[in-house]
Amino acid sequence: MPRIELRNISKFVLKNLNLTVEEGEIVALIGPNGAGKSTLLNIIAGLIDYEGEVYFDGVNMNRTPPHRRGVGYLFQDLALFPHLNVFDNISYGLKIKRVDGAIREKRVNEMIDALRIGKLKDRYPANLSGGEKQRVAIARTLAPFYNIVLLDEPTASLDGQTGKYLRFELRSLLKKLGITAILVTHDLMGAEEIADRIAIIHQGRVEQIGRPEDIFFNPASQAVKEFTGTPNILNCESCLVLTSGLVETVCNGMKIILPYEGASIKKIAIPPHDIYISDKKPPGPALNRYTGEIFEIIPIGSISRIGVLVGGNRLYAEMLTDTVDEMGLKLGQSVHVIVKLRRLKHFEAE
Amino acid sequence: MFRRLTIFFCLLTFFIYGGLIASLFYFYSGGLFLGILTSDRLLFSLRLSVITATIVSIVSLFFAIPAAYGLSRYRFFGRQLIDTMLELPMIISPVALGALILISLNTPFGTFIQKRGIEIIFTFYGILVAQFVTTLGITTRLIKTVMDEIPVRYEEAAKTLGASPLKVFFTITLPLSKKGIIASGILTWAKALGEFGATITVAGSMAMKTETLPIAIFMRLAGADIEGAAVHVLILIGIGILILYGVRVFGLWRGYT
Repeated sequence: MPRIELRNISKFVLKNLNLTVEEGEIVALIGPNGAGKSTLLNIIAGLIDYEGEVYFDGVNMNRTPPHRRGVGYLFQDLALFPHLNVFDNISYGLKIKRVDGAIREKRVNEMIDALRIGKLKDRYPANLSGGEKQRVAIARTLAPFYNIVLLDEPTASLDGQTGKYLRFELRSLLKKLGITAILVTHDLMGAEEIADRIAIIHQGRVEQIGRPEDIFFNPASQAVKEFTGTPNILNCESCLVLTSGLVETVCNGMKIILPYEGASIKKIAIPPHDIYISDKKPPGPALNRYTGEIFEIIPIGSISRIGVLVGGNRLYAEMLTDTVDEMGLKLGQSVHVIVKLRRLKHFEAE
Repeated sequence: MFRRLTIFFCLLTFFIYGGLIASLFYFYSGGLFLGILTSDRLLFSLRLSVITATIVSIVSLFFAIPAAYGLSRYRFFGRQLIDTMLELPMIISPVALGALILISLNTPFGTFIQKRGIEIIFTFYGILVAQFVTTLGITTRLIKTVMDEIPVRYEEAAKTLGASPLKVFFTITLPLSKKGIIASGILTWAKALGEFGATITVAGSMAMKTETLPIAIFMRLAGADIEGAAVHVLILIGIGILILYGVRVFGLWRGYT
């Protein structure tokens, strides 16, 4: 029986949306601004009225008020109680549930340790940094022994590296506690790092749901393709582990170096905005740098898609149209192609 | 130039009020002042005003806090009408409000209440009723403003953490609006203390019975007792300054948000 089941949910932009989340699963809802992602979380939490049905473990929750649904909710703006210090914020849910004092203190301290916020116990939200607030809000959401949590842009306010680190920590914590989670984000890469499955929300419906590799390699529609940035998909023929924690793959005559994560790589997805084109040879080591020939230039407003033939691969890059004009790129021109190492997405085949 | 002009108007405002207060001292005479200040009649007026204003403030807050929360948080039929009604005491003359009370006491319901032993007209209870009717709307409006400024998101967060609407109110909304409620209470008290029109209409102006401070000023002036009126006015100004200070201390309700 699925842990969460949404049937024909309609509210504002959402139209007959259906979604099923299994026990212990982490599902990321992705979509453009105004797609109804946060509305969906509010519906699951019971904070707003809606049409359709919400089931937890097969039990219809439509008439259950939010305080009886047993769903933790991390709001995008965190909503830490300004009149309570960090410890009291985290223990609020347990106090309300009248959890025994000793158990309550133990649980709060567990959360404080897990999120490494021991030094902040006595501080008030007004005196916390953005990252600290985020950690306190996560601790408060997870403290009341909930089996389901909803996370609205859990790392949106953090800088890239801090956000990435917190995503890994959050995923490991959710898995350790066996919590079923639905999170909302507009960052596809961030979703990939934390979620088991990704659901693309488009025009009020789930356009596609699946593992990150399904979304990248088998986009179900043009909308999904556009959302994933229509990545360049390369099939790899060989894979050689290097001593430096990297792996060298060969894809249709193109050698690509990737971080080694202990699996054989069969496919690579490269987003077009992660491929740079230069008419001059770039300085630095020749890692993931190639020469190719332009076979297509498609201006799409301020952005242009540049098709470049590299080895046997037809790669598409995205550049500002002004930059394309300044560089004077033409069909048939030989150019240097740089692929951003850290943004490559690679997946082992089934 | 524009800056100077605006500052000129600021100073002008100050001198209008400052000049009025300063004119009181023209009639100041040390011995007479002390004599009036310690007279039984003035002490009675002061005591009566403080007691009635305190009772009315407590009762107004008791009604206004839940009403303000309801108006701030829920959408229901007639909400706009009630919201508009809160401004009634601000836009109609207090004498008219007093007249409304008197008229209502002549209806079968009013007669029923009076026959049950609660004499309102020309009594201590009349002062309470007049002050309560004058302040309730204003108190509710002030507290609603305070509650409107507290983001609903805190309450939603508390609900998802298992708090019922009642617990949310007592553990989140009330603590967050505490300072604003205290400030509203102080202003209510000041409004009740200075109430004149409705009080004199309902409770009359009987010395040592229904003579509140503002009524005492009126009666002293009516008897051409300028020094006596000046002493009463000075007392009211002194209380007013203390109240403004209190509101400044407790009025920082935006501190959390």
